[in-house]
Amino acid sequence: MRKKWYKIMAASLSVVLLSSLVVGCGNKQKKAESESKEITVMIPEWGAPDDELLDQFKEETGIDVTVNEVSWDDIRDKIAIAASGGSAVADVVEVDWSWVGEFHAADWLEPLQFEKEEIEDMPTIETFTIDGDILAVPYANDFRLSYYNKEQYKKAGIETEPQTWDEVFEQAKLLKEKGVSEYPFAMALNAEESAATTLMWLAYTMNGVVFNEDGTLNEASVLSALEYQDKLIKEGLIDPADKSSSGMDAYRRILSGNAAFLTGPTSFVARSNDKEQCSVVGQIQPILVPGKDGKAQHTMPLPEAIGVTKFSKNKEAAETFVKWYTSKEIQKELFKRNSTIPTHNTVLKELIDSQEMVQTGDMLEEAKRIASPFPNGVPSYYAEMSHAIYNAVNKMATGALSPKEAFDEMNKVVTELAGNK
Amino acid sequence: MKKALPYILLAPMMVIMGVLVFYPVIATFSYSLKKWKLTMPGDIRFIWFDNYRSVFKSSSFWYSLQNTIVILLVVVVLTTIMGMLLSMFLNVETKVSGVMLAIAVLPWALPPYVNGVLWKFIFHPGYGFLNKLFISLHLITQPVEWLSSRWLLLLAVSLVVTWRSIPFMALVCLAGRKALPESLYEAARIDGASKAQIFRRITLPLILPFAGIGIMSTSITAINVFDEIVALSGMSDLGKNIVLESYLTTFSFLDFGKGSAITYLVLLLAAIFGVFYLKTLNKEVQY
Repeated sequence: MRKKWYKIMAASLSVVLLSSLVVGCGNKQKKAESESKEITVMIPEWGAPDDELLDQFKEETGIDVTVNEVSWDDIRDKIAIAASGGSAVADVVEVDWSWVGEFHAADWLEPLQFEKEEIEDMPTIETFTIDGDILAVPYANDFRLSYYNKEQYKKAGIETEPQTWDEVFEQAKLLKEKGVSEYPFAMALNAEESAATTLMWLAYTMNGVVFNEDGTLNEASVLSALEYQDKLIKEGLIDPADKSSSGMDAYRRILSGNAAFLTGPTSFVARSNDKEQCSVVGQIQPILVPGKDGKAQHTMPLPEAIGVTKFSKNKEAAETFVKWYTSKEIQKELFKRNSTIPTHNTVLKELIDSQEMVQTGDMLEEAKRIASPFPNGVPSYYAEMSHAIYNAVNKMATGALSPKEAFDEMNKVVTELAGNK
Repeated sequence: MKKALPYILLAPMMVIMGVLVFYPVIATFSYSLKKWKLTMPGDIRFIWFDNYRSVFKSSSFWYSLQNTIVILLVVVVLTTIMGMLLSMFLNVETKVSGVMLAIAVLPWALPPYVNGVLWKFIFHPGYGFLNKLFISLHLITQPVEWLSSRWLLLLAVSLVVTWRSIPFMALVCLAGRKALPESLYEAARIDGASKAQIFRRITLPLILPFAGIGIMSTSITAINVFDEIVALSGMSDLGKNIVLESYLTTFSFLDFGKGSAITYLVLLLAAIFGVFYLKTLNKEVQY
């Protein structure tokens, strides 16, 4: 009798387990299908709005926002996996400048409507505009800006800031010879994304061009940038650790006083004034990026944006959030709360004029020189191209390839990709 | 009802296995026969074995396979030797045996990525522990860039994976050693066998089937290394193995078709070791 009772219990449990699986899936589906004033936002920690801001948004619009903080490099994978199954990982997602080409090709982003005045005030929005469609709106500004340590340059007897890349090289040699800095130039050379962007901005600021109209690499420009990097490495002006450290670790050498010159992210304006992060506060001056015969005419933007996923079931509410989050008022708030550099030039100017943003040097002037190095927008094969570029750069840095061999290696891949687009 | 009961009881497990194992295996194979790049949503089509042909023609695949084999060989050899030695030490009964066992198991309990990050600090060319140690011992005058050359990087990856794999091998061998009857050793000692002879003639052949289990498990671990490589050298081509090649193709380059083909090749490679593993379990030992 007891045996029979156990069998009935076990069978019933199995049925309950199976049916709960089916019912569980069914409920989820039902919930997702219902229209609501709730949206989800997937964004990295540094870009996430705090609860106070979200409450303010809810009060203004009635839309409830759930923020899902995910590490930057995991977001792309999550979006891709969800989209391949035809679903949205969130209504609003982080869109890095380097992802926009492939997201556009894969048709994962919903075009957004923005006022002309807003667009004109946000030069970095160009990166996220393809075929006239605004696919995402930048909320955090980043473009390449140069920094030098005034005190160290003075110690080496250098009175003026570098104007050209040749001057940067000669001055770095002097800094090393005089024993002021053993490795004066901080540069990302590890096999990661930052090494690819380093080559791009170097070629761009040096020669004004990186890619030809057909998407292939401009040999003269890229090769001269590679030769310049090789010269710096061979002269021992770059720390060998930069070849295997992360790009951010390489950049941070200027904050510890180990490097005297950097071309890097705009976040270093704030970092170089933060005593917790910088041991040479007051010595680092942001300057315009050097060029070939004088200061570079253009600098490369690397902004972070947010966009609405095509599979979102709350597109209208999601677009409202994007507009609100990238508005001038919220940009000011984000600077105060997260030190996020505004993407609106008028906000940037306002913060500098009101002394809320200090020691900015030539940052505002450089912001006016922002221009994309991609003649046809960021390509859909960017990830594959970038992978080939940073691996070739790293091989050159470690001495496995000459600059010409490194160029040939990356050029083979880029040409093939550009031909197959 | 009596006849149906076993099936009803097995049903939940069959559903779970079907959804989580069989469906992905079949789906991945079907993906591998398609041209399916997420950035080309309008061009998804059946191309039979073209993805496999493309993988076999790619120098990148062969390079990553070479790296996989190097890591596999170094990890298996080092883990087997070190694991067996460690099990012999752990077999010695002392007051601190329990604590020693807990310490020995620690690397096995660490998440692989944390393990990799930990070792990255050790191998760091600037402030790394290893360079500081070698410089202070006057073995080197300039810091060595451990992670900048292919073979040094592969050696570093192998050492890190070995460090994580030794505890399992040691535990398996220790379990085998503990299972051996003491009477065998007593008889050998009465017959006048030396310690070396006892080890060679009794301990080693009898714990070999246990070590076999450890070797197979280590081999599969060595083929599937991912976290440690990413922690030490990121997505660099320098030290990539076939698992990283598969990840890059699928998730970085969004080529699900070709990525699935590489995944299947990884699966086949691991399956070969799995078959050996099952054979080892059933092997009889002569001593």
